[in-house]
Amino acid sequence: MKAVWRFFSSVKLAIFLFIVLTLASILGTLIPQQRTPAEFQAHYGNLSRLVTGLDLDRLYQSAWFIGLLLLFGLNLVVCSLTRLTPKLLRTFGSAWTVEARELASLKTKESFTRRSSLEAFVAAARAELGRRRFRVAAKSDSGRALLRARKHTLGLFGSDIVHLGVLVILAGGIVSGLGKYRSDVSVSEGQTVPVPARAISLRLDKFETEFYPTGTVKAWKSTVTIFEGGGPRLTRTIAVNHPLSYKGVVFYQSSYGWDWENPFLELRIKKKSDPAFLKAISLKLGGKAALDDGTEITAVRFLPDFVIGADNEPATRTWEPNNPAVLVEGYRKDARVFSGWIFAKYPEFTHFRDSGDMELAFELTSYQAPQFSVLQAASDPGAPVIWTGCVLLMLGLFFSFYWPPREIKLVLEAHEGPSVAVSAGGLASKGRDRFEEEFASIMAVLRRTS
Amino acid sequence: MNEPTFFLLAFLAYVLSALVYFGSQLFSKEKWAKTGFLLAVSGLAVHTLALAARTVKSGHAPFTNMYESISFLAWASALAYVLMEGKFKIRKTGPYVMLIVVALMAIASSPLMPKEATPLVPALQSYWLWLHVSVTLLGEAFFAVAFVSSLLFLRADARGRKPKGEEAARAAERNDAMSYRAIAVGFPLFTLGGLVFGMIWAYKAWGTYWSWDPKEVWSLITWLVFALYLHTRIVMGWKGRRSALIAVLGFLAALFTYFGVNYLLTGLHSYA
Repeated sequence: MKAVWRFFSSVKLAIFLFIVLTLASILGTLIPQQRTPAEFQAHYGNLSRLVTGLDLDRLYQSAWFIGLLLLFGLNLVVCSLTRLTPKLLRTFGSAWTVEARELASLKTKESFTRRSSLEAFVAAARAELGRRRFRVAAKSDSGRALLRARKHTLGLFGSDIVHLGVLVILAGGIVSGLGKYRSDVSVSEGQTVPVPARAISLRLDKFETEFYPTGTVKAWKSTVTIFEGGGPRLTRTIAVNHPLSYKGVVFYQSSYGWDWENPFLELRIKKKSDPAFLKAISLKLGGKAALDDGTEITAVRFLPDFVIGADNEPATRTWEPNNPAVLVEGYRKDARVFSGWIFAKYPEFTHFRDSGDMELAFELTSYQAPQFSVLQAASDPGAPVIWTGCVLLMLGLFFSFYWPPREIKLVLEAHEGPSVAVSAGGLASKGRDRFEEEFASIMAVLRRTS
Repeated sequence: MNEPTFFLLAFLAYVLSALVYFGSQLFSKEKWAKTGFLLAVSGLAVHTLALAARTVKSGHAPFTNMYESISFLAWASALAYVLMEGKFKIRKTGPYVMLIVVALMAIASSPLMPKEATPLVPALQSYWLWLHVSVTLLGEAFFAVAFVSSLLFLRADARGRKPKGEEAARAAERNDAMSYRAIAVGFPLFTLGGLVFGMIWAYKAWGTYWSWDPKEVWSLITWLVFALYLHTRIVMGWKGRRSALIAVLGFLAALFTYFGVNYLLTGLHSYA
């Protein structure tokens, strides 16, 4: 048991873990993470079995990496406890004493004799040390007085506060890992959708994209209304860097797009035989429009970025309207008389099938789709824990680097005359040059005391 | 005067500062080092004007593309050096830090770096851009000072081990202390700017404070290396050569976090 404790409390284990965690982290940035097995097979060949076997493809989520982090945390806990208890006792315990011998062994020290009564000297020393923001404790008995003055005592515990901060951050990571909730909500303008796993729903009132004069995107903004218990609760605009928080769920602007399954289309129809004939019709997919001669026109399918796919079938390359095309069919008395793709940007490419002698010519003059916005709904109970850990971490770093603890001890002995024999010593682990100056100037004042 | 003029003047002042510093060491003229320092300070002042002019003109923080952020890192390194020199009188480090500053300014001036200020993409429109990037780069600038004094330590230490090397051995000790002091400033700054502010901004913009993005991982690696430096030094009493090597590795990790990740790895931080 003792050996186990000693193993976990050793600084060598900490250093070993620093190095192993560093190397593992580097490995994770060299091997692409979160790819499919096929991609690994293509990239690494026979090595891919090794990569996936050791979870190197999802290294930071793997059991062994998390195990290393936990071991790191355990090492920190044991290390801190081992060091902290004696340190707390030494600092705050009431059983303290000062020996003249002990002072003589210090690097920063002075001794002198002063004409003064013991009480007057103690009072003067207390005043001078207090003026310099030292906290003074004193003990006296039969012609002898011991003084212990300290300041920046928290500096002694800087590293412990840092370690506590790191532990709290690790704990926050565990809380996040267990209790994190994330879900993408895709919603079109005017639509109301339920937020998964939460008793609220969300309506997109408006989505807009703002542009700079140069044409690059300036902002994506979703104006949404939250509904709970049947009624609207609040309306806000969400943008990148400006999430909306509602009862622990935070909504982020994550993505956007056009709902091309429900476009509003406008077509212009001409007759080859009659140059005076011109008719404009508006259509939705599945909708019908009738011409004077009884022909019914219907829009069957719309693709925003038309390509012929690998399987020789029409498909869309992207969701941007780069090459919009609509499949139009014509019916007369329920019999299909023509069918063909009409391209907004290339009207001359239109080619009709089953048409025989085609009288009509089409142009796709307008195509619009409702925009939808993708909002990420998330709640992370670990986040407040992480922020607490960060505050502790920064406080601890401040105390350990910029709050150097100082201690001055005095042994005073009353002699005939009256006079006081003074032995003084100072302790500072950091910033010793500055401390020696301060110590010397305190001693200079005390030497003048009467 | 406008930003390019200020930038050029600053560049010139830094070059002169480096030359005068090297001259002072080469010809053992102590007084020249003072001139070198004054040149560095005036370069820093004019460079500050260049950054301010750019901020006013572009309307956003002066570190949103590679040109801007390298120029800012040069400014931060000059600032870190001037502060350390002002406090600890470390003239020996001067020429080499100024050499790094001059190199950064030269890289920033290269025609391969587009200079025009582009409007901010939505992800960067946040005051956290100021806090996260400036504090991180300032921390890295102090790591750069530690890097230089660690390399100088290694050189002086090798000389100090030879016969009649007492002078070099004393210089080595000063350089060793200098590295520690620079890291004592750089480590809290880097922790605050790189990790803490980074996590807060990531949480606000992406909805998650940590995503194991390569830039995040490399910041963590840099942090771990300097944590190793501090632990081996404070707890195990390492000093000198081993400490210096860790400080050098730490700065190289910081450099990779800053440059390498952008060019060699892909991830969420692909803005520049």
